[in-house]
Amino acid sequence: MPLAIDPSILGQEFDHTRYGPVTAEELIAFARALGETRPEYTEPGPSLVGHPTFCVRYKGDRFYPESIPKTINVRAGLDAGKDIQLGVPVCPGDSIEVRSTLHEVYEKTGRTGSMYFVVIRFTMTNQRGEMLAVVDNRFMHR
Amino acid sequence: MTRRFEDVEEGDELPTRELFLAKDQVRAYARAANQWSPRFTDDEGARREGLPGMITPGNMSMGLLTALIEAWAGPGVLRRLGTTFRGLVLPGRTVRLCGTVTQKDERTRTAELDVWLESDDGERLVIGTATVALG
Repeated sequence: MPLAIDPSILGQEFDHTRYGPVTAEELIAFARALGETRPEYTEPGPSLVGHPTFCVRYKGDRFYPESIPKTINVRAGLDAGKDIQLGVPVCPGDSIEVRSTLHEVYEKTGRTGSMYFVVIRFTMTNQRGEMLAVVDNRFMHR
Repeated sequence: MTRRFEDVEEGDELPTRELFLAKDQVRAYARAANQWSPRFTDDEGARREGLPGMITPGNMSMGLLTALIEAWAGPGVLRRLGTTFRGLVLPGRTVRLCGTVTQKDERTRTAELDVWLESDDGERLVIGTATVALG
């Protein structure tokens, strides 16, 4: 079925969730699970910062907005990829605010039929309003 | 220490990293990344979801590619990373992390990279591009 979307639903914030404070233990466990040994990612102390991809562990309370076209079966989907724009690193004690917007919805037709792609943008800031990351999550649905 | 802009040429290859992706490491990542789900932690649970066995989170592949980039260019240099998850990354196997420099921008002193994670037989399971700020 062809995808019909109302352009006005794009870019609208549909979730705003706060997390934190982030602990040193969380930052270190994340980095170590990636095999990191750099002291700035793995040793407690004033120099400790989060691994650059630490932010991708956060998402909004509501993952999809209600305005998603009903043509798309949101119950079955695959993570198709992510684009991350990085800002300042996460530090111990930071609070993280995640604002979610529906960024893009598009359709692709392949050999096996139509696939729908939904891109949810998470804009993440710390308690000082500094940008931590903008993460575009691309999900594929049949 | 950050790699210097003058020391980078288009076409340069990042030193390839080969690593055995242990299931316990993937579980540790799933726990630390708040992605504790059968598909990432348990073969039987993953099969019930129609998968061949537990898989590696795409986010973990991004983390590993970031580590590859930082090992080459220095910590804190990554400005952007975009990835496409093309295939399932199955733990309990060896993967390779690879990258090349595709473009330099003198004005911003940045470099564009192609990066990818490939299976032992050379299939590119995760592909991406990255922007790094050089010294």
